[in-house]
Amino acid sequence: MSLLSVHNLTVHFGGVAAVDDVSFDLRAGEILGLIGPNGSGKTTVLNLLSGFLAPRSGRVRMGDDDITGLSANRLAQRGALRMFQMTRVFSRMSAFDNLLTAGLARGVSERESQRRAEALVDELTLGPVQFLDAGQLSGGQRKLLEFGMCFIEPPRVAMLDEPFAAVHPVMREVMAAFIRKRHAQGSTFLLVSHDMPIIVDLCQRAVCMNAGKVIAAGDIHAVLKDHEVIEAYLGETPDGDAVPSLELTDSPREQP
Amino acid sequence: MTARRQLWSDRLRFDMGAALAICAALALVPLFVSGPYALGIILVSIYFAIIALGWNLLAGYTGQFSLAPAAFAMIGGYTTALLGHYLHVPLALGIPAAIVSAALFGWVLGKLVLNLSGPYLSLTTLAFAEIARVVIGNSHEFTRGDQGMHVATLTQSRIGYYYIFLGTLVAVLVLLYGLLRGRLGRFMMAVRDDPVGASSRGIDVVRIKMIAFCVSCALCGLAGSLYGTFSQLVSPELGLLQQTGLVLSMVVIGGMSSLTGALLGALLVYLSSEWLRGFGDVQIIVFALLVILFARYLPGGLWGLAARLLQRGRA
Repeated sequence: MSLLSVHNLTVHFGGVAAVDDVSFDLRAGEILGLIGPNGSGKTTVLNLLSGFLAPRSGRVRMGDDDITGLSANRLAQRGALRMFQMTRVFSRMSAFDNLLTAGLARGVSERESQRRAEALVDELTLGPVQFLDAGQLSGGQRKLLEFGMCFIEPPRVAMLDEPFAAVHPVMREVMAAFIRKRHAQGSTFLLVSHDMPIIVDLCQRAVCMNAGKVIAAGDIHAVLKDHEVIEAYLGETPDGDAVPSLELTDSPREQP
Repeated sequence: MTARRQLWSDRLRFDMGAALAICAALALVPLFVSGPYALGIILVSIYFAIIALGWNLLAGYTGQFSLAPAAFAMIGGYTTALLGHYLHVPLALGIPAAIVSAALFGWVLGKLVLNLSGPYLSLTTLAFAEIARVVIGNSHEFTRGDQGMHVATLTQSRIGYYYIFLGTLVAVLVLLYGLLRGRLGRFMMAVRDDPVGASSRGIDVVRIKMIAFCVSCALCGLAGSLYGTFSQLVSPELGLLQQTGLVLSMVVIGGMSSLTGALLGALLVYLSSEWLRGFGDVQIIVFALLVILFARYLPGGLWGLAARLLQRGRA
């Protein structure tokens, strides 16, 4: 069953179609990969879906509701939560207070937010830094903190923008384990990443964009073998060469 | 190594405790200071402390750097004066009316600057403050212009006024503590730290900014109204940019985003400005230099430094 339906979404920046007639479905309980080379429009799609940008045309539905053009805070209240490539934490509050504030913002009581924050601190290995101001945390710790802020009240859909970029492999595995666990509990994810091993590991399906358009969508393995997808990532393949796959097998989990 | 437990609620409780301790010390001042002039100076510094606390809520806790706190004190003062003069409204209604009127003007200004930030927001509030002052100063038939307007007084007793101001200061501190320790306070700080991040977590950034503007301006209006009844006169001088500069210096020197910082800063800066009077018109130069030095080397202000030392001592 489709949780998020995107229909013919289009947005222009100064005459350039940054997102051009994009349509796809995000099914309830799946992890959908949104991939594509730099500048293909992935983050713009996330901005549209999380209320930071209004589309020129097209519709977005979440369940039975039309959520096109709703503001970011209203979407968050409805359970469409967003993580940013450049983390957005409250730098002059402690990490623990960031979690508490995120819980209160979603309407969770103070006592319950505190209980959940304590559990998330443990799960995300943030214990040693929980009372430091978030501005003092490393980039990876901030990303973990953002995971916690998204999940202090389980979202209907979590949209993650490059969560694994420039993160230490150990923390990357904490994040991947967090996603796997929440997915097993029924959470739905839209995952933007350039990290193909992790995309293959976590996602069942993928949508690939290039120059603002969807160029392939469907089973993750099929998408990564798609000729147009490979061309978008690697440039034109020489005639006669066997078409390779973008799929890589050396998942970080298997590294020593 | 795990960092020592230091949550917002702990910091705020410590901050409030220190602010109340200063108020307790202020309550004893009339036992030792009997001269009306000296008592009047401390009283005026409490007036500035209320404005500084109001401005700190907006600038320090919510990140909206308004340059109009003195203008809102003036608006509060004139509301009470005009209601008393034209409609014979008693002070029991005239003072609350000043709070409401300043909050309403704050709401209008908040609406105007909703999508502005940084220097654009500051310049717009500055323009508003100057327009308000010039309009009041030039409306001779209505406001008597630069001559100012007479305001009724609550009591002729200076000590009585001292305790009225001190009681108001404590009430303002309690109100701010209640506001800051709840959801609203946390959301204000979230908006200050990252408005985009705040809205992505479900916080209505526009609503939070509007509440901060209204409460901050209401507190300035209350201070202006009370001051008018104390001096029995309101004039456009209440809204001078120089007064806003003084409030800004108080908060930066005392410590932004802190109740004690604003209170301590107001007392120290106003008392030293009175002392500096003996050296000519040098106050603004001295405080401007101090603001530069504090902003550069001690962004937490005097209270930030003192709190660090006190907590290190307790650990």
